[in-house]
Amino acid sequence: MIQLEHLTKEYNGVRAVDDLNAGIPDGEIFGLLGPNGAGKSTTILMLTGLIEPTAGRCLVGGLDVARDPITVKQQIGYMPEDVGFYATLNAEENLTYFGKLYGMDGTACKKRCSELLPLVGLDGVTKDVGGFSKGMRQRLGIAKALLNDPAVIILDEPTANLDPQGVADYRRIIRGVAREGKTVVVSSHILEEVSKVSTMVGILSRGKLVAQGSWRDLAKDLSRKPDAHVTILVETQDPMPDISHQNIISVDYERDRHCAVIVARSDIRDEIAGQLAQGGIRLHGLSCEGISLEETFLSYYQTAG
Amino acid sequence: MMAQSRLITIAQKELFDHLRSRKFLLIFGILLVVAIVGMIGGVTEYNKNLDSYNKHQSTIASPLSSSMAEKPSILSVFSSVATYLVFVGGILGIAMGFDLVSKEKESKSLKILLSHPVYRDEVINGKALGGIAALGCALAVVLVIALATLLVYGIVPDGGEVVLIGIFAIVSFLLIFSYFAIALFMSTVMDESGSALIYTIIVFILLSVLVPTLANDTVMEYAIGSQPEIPQELIDQMQRSANTSEGSAVSVTFSTKGNNGAWDEFNKRTQAYWEKRQMVEDTSALFSPSMNYQAICAVITAGNTEKNIVISTGNNAATAFSVGSEGDAHGEEILGRIVANLVALLLFPAVFFGLAYLRFLRLDVR
Repeated sequence: MIQLEHLTKEYNGVRAVDDLNAGIPDGEIFGLLGPNGAGKSTTILMLTGLIEPTAGRCLVGGLDVARDPITVKQQIGYMPEDVGFYATLNAEENLTYFGKLYGMDGTACKKRCSELLPLVGLDGVTKDVGGFSKGMRQRLGIAKALLNDPAVIILDEPTANLDPQGVADYRRIIRGVAREGKTVVVSSHILEEVSKVSTMVGILSRGKLVAQGSWRDLAKDLSRKPDAHVTILVETQDPMPDISHQNIISVDYERDRHCAVIVARSDIRDEIAGQLAQGGIRLHGLSCEGISLEETFLSYYQTAG
Repeated sequence: MMAQSRLITIAQKELFDHLRSRKFLLIFGILLVVAIVGMIGGVTEYNKNLDSYNKHQSTIASPLSSSMAEKPSILSVFSSVATYLVFVGGILGIAMGFDLVSKEKESKSLKILLSHPVYRDEVINGKALGGIAALGCALAVVLVIALATLLVYGIVPDGGEVVLIGIFAIVSFLLIFSYFAIALFMSTVMDESGSALIYTIIVFILLSVLVPTLANDTVMEYAIGSQPEIPQELIDQMQRSANTSEGSAVSVTFSTKGNNGAWDEFNKRTQAYWEKRQMVEDTSALFSPSMNYQAICAVITAGNTEKNIVISTGNNAATAFSVGSEGDAHGEEILGRIVANLVALLLFPAVFFGLAYLRFLRLDVR
């Protein structure tokens, strides 16, 4: 559905986005990750047709955003970071105005508002948007992004101002629209949030896409690197003998050798269980902590840096 | 068709935003009050002049009183409205335009608006169209009240006068729209509404206060030299005439067809000076919407294109010159007189709206 080809954007000679290539299939929730200034928002602005790339192109549904912005915008629902609305209009009036810009008539707008406002928890709210909290604006922003029943939904820092209930509602909505086959792009620097909803991630660092794929794929890739490691916790009913394996980096024995914390280059639980069984040691527990989200992100980010 | 619909959607929203805006309603209220007060004042003055005219007509037997033969124009009623409108109208235009784009930048609604399937030119055109419609509504109400005031006082304009009232309404609209366009331009250039307002007010002051002061004596002396001085022999002659007359105020008129060579020479040089000065004044006036408006209104409301210049020579003696065409001005002559100002008044909003348009198309929405 979305294709970014050699996408580049320069501001006063500085490359905010540098030769970005990515493909996002239909029905995926793509998390665009990166620290502040990595180029996430710039990428999204090009994807929504709000700014033109210096080089390269964005394709949405096979159409070049820069060449055919109106048709592409008809297919996109966008919520920017710090979403802004018309303060003197209420939620329904704001949505109706934007709905008319999508070519919807008054009846269609009203019907869509009656579906979306309850979905985001704003039904019955009649006050002007000027009196909304940031969280309420963000909820309205999500409703606005869904207004035209778009094929592609682009959300920039969507949970930044939401309360826990709002975050839960947001996740439910996003998963729901992805199940309908819509493509969702979520830009965020909150790893946990992206990991909870996204099926794919792309990690941006200094304008470059340094990794792209599912979290599992990225973690697997990372585990193949020489400096990758996992932590294995071994608990036994009998005191355990020394454990040895070529992938072990370090072992700490605790509680009179009834417990061991092993740092290894890969998940060697099967080999450890085999060794202990051979020695007649009864296992109480054997767990492995894989590479955390933070470790994965930081690893890619630092590698790129 | 779709593009037209989007343009109308934006224009409608802008129109209703203006009509619901407190600042618009407040300034519009002030405009209404000054229009009513101005009309009542104008009608009173008109009735007074009409009485004088009627009295004069009844005593027309005396051939010496021919200087007061002209019937006062109904359009003169609008002259005080024009005086107020040049200031309040300018403020209204500025108030309507200064935050049209900058407010959207500040509230971040511009980014969300432009993410919709609209072209940028539709947005800026829609904003201008909404503003024009709101201004049109405001001026239509003012015009209706002005005409109603005339009718309440039993004054019924004829066809020609209705046309001139229409021209008055159009130029009033152009004046307000000029400042609206300047404010809109500032709004696209500045990121904050406060800055846009301040810069627009600076331009307003430059155009409505500073440009007119360019025509003062000091500047004129620097630009075109000093006014020719009256030869001493003529002053002596005038003083002698004054001393032989009775009363405290004396008006002395010299014939330009006389044999007095000194007078003829002085008259010629003075006439040339004032014509040159008038040309400089008229040219500088073209750069100010307020002055263009005042110049047009002066012609429309007075129905007279003649500019009288009075030179005081002290000792109760004075002489007068006329620059421009003499006598009554109607129809084509009025149009001929105001065409430069009218074109300038049309150009102002066109230029500033064009600049706002270009700037908006290139606006960075990061």
